[in-house]
Amino acid sequence: MVRVDVTLLLLALFSTVGLVFTYLAVSERDLVRAVIYSAVQSSAYAVMLYLLRAPDIVLVYLPVAVGLYPAALLFLIGKTEKVDGE
Amino acid sequence: MALNALERFLLTLTLYNLLATAAISVYGIVARPSLVKKVISLTILGDALNVLAIFIGFRLFSIPPVLTPEVELSYFVGSAVDPLPQALVLTAIVIGLAVNLFLIFLALQVYRLYGTLDTRRIRELRG
Amino acid sequence: MLISIVASVALLAYATSLAGALGYLGLETRALAKMFLTLAYNPGLRELTAMAPEAVTAIVWDFRGVDTLYETVVFYMAIIAALAIYRGVPKVGGGGGTGLSLIVRVVTKLLIPMNIAVALSIAVHGHLTPGGGFQAGAALAVISVLLAVVYSFSSYGRVGIDIPKAVTLRSVGLVAIALVVFTPLIYSLVTGAQAYLMQNYVKVDSGFSFPAEVFGQLISGTLIWLNVAEFLAVSFGFCIIFMLLSLREEVIRPALVGEEHGP
Repeated sequence: MVRVDVTLLLLALFSTVGLVFTYLAVSERDLVRAVIYSAVQSSAYAVMLYLLRAPDIVLVYLPVAVGLYPAALLFLIGKTEKVDGE
Repeated sequence: MALNALERFLLTLTLYNLLATAAISVYGIVARPSLVKKVISLTILGDALNVLAIFIGFRLFSIPPVLTPEVELSYFVGSAVDPLPQALVLTAIVIGLAVNLFLIFLALQVYRLYGTLDTRRIRELRG
Repeated sequence: MLISIVASVALLAYATSLAGALGYLGLETRALAKMFLTLAYNPGLRELTAMAPEAVTAIVWDFRGVDTLYETVVFYMAIIAALAIYRGVPKVGGGGGTGLSLIVRVVTKLLIPMNIAVALSIAVHGHLTPGGGFQAGAALAVISVLLAVVYSFSSYGRVGIDIPKAVTLRSVGLVAIALVVFTPLIYSLVTGAQAYLMQNYVKVDSGFSFPAEVFGQLISGTLIWLNVAEFLAVSFGFCIIFMLLSLREEVIRPALVGEEHGP
């Protein structure tokens, strides 16, 4: 039986989740959905930062990237266009 | 302490996933015409590079860099992760936040003055 | 397309992990890290230590304190730039607009005191547990977002905050940081001894130090004052940003677009 640390398995899993949702966010035409995909990617990165033993950074990253960026971007989308491209 | 093949594969996979996320977000900045999509991709790029910086200071079987009263100093120094990248990434997150918030305000002002956020149409307007 | 990206990254990672692409990552820490970890809280080495058990806060405010000072300046300049874009807009009064339904409003009213308590705790305990000034400011900024979305822009007026008052309170936080940074200079001018700017504890050729313990509780010299001042400055900075973002377009458009296109 091969020994492996749980930390490494979870790190690889959540970084793959981040990659998948980044691709979805960049290639999506509807801008509100793109913001939601990027918020999910930020949550996956917040879990990764906790696994990398950095609790100070998690306390900064969680309100900023999951709360403040999507809020400001949704204000911007509400006042301007809602679709990317033609 | 040596790593076996599965542990090495998982660590390399994490590193390559972070680099691939950075590459996809650079594609998103360059190739998508909407200013809002460019700002979203810029935030994803900043996040991926910050996590990469902390990943470089990581160490297996370690504790966070906080000295609790029941831990010996020699054990703490021998098994805590690197605190310096965390301090630098804290500053980097704040500066990225300042730049991105200012870009959002600028995008609002561009929409008020030109009526569109599509860079292909702004290029044809000529002032 | 997505599956091909994920599969090719995994294949590349497998191929290069056999050939040793990782190097020494994940195995040992550098000598610089060991030095910072040894000096963060070390009552035996009184001239080199920062007397704070939290190594990251000690690096942020004591060992590399000037970096954090300039990061605060960069954040401050971004807020000034945002205020400069809105220079002709009437910022006091105005409002109207409706919020969300009654259920959401009552639940938010219950959450706001808990948020304030958690943010204050993160700020004041920044030198003992993970936390600090910026973390607490970002946690309190969520309240500004909630007020803007769940109630509306007029709720700021009912709480008693408008943009000039928020700018004043933010400046109070920044002046407090400047006072703590310049206190060694004033001490050195008054008594003639040697002291360094932003000095926290005694150094080899300087006897000045902020008190590291008060009534038996560890307060780590400048770290607690700088954390609380930064918390004040950052939380009101975010308050300004979200107040500007939630102004209605009918109020902004005549002031901003009118002056570009002339009468």
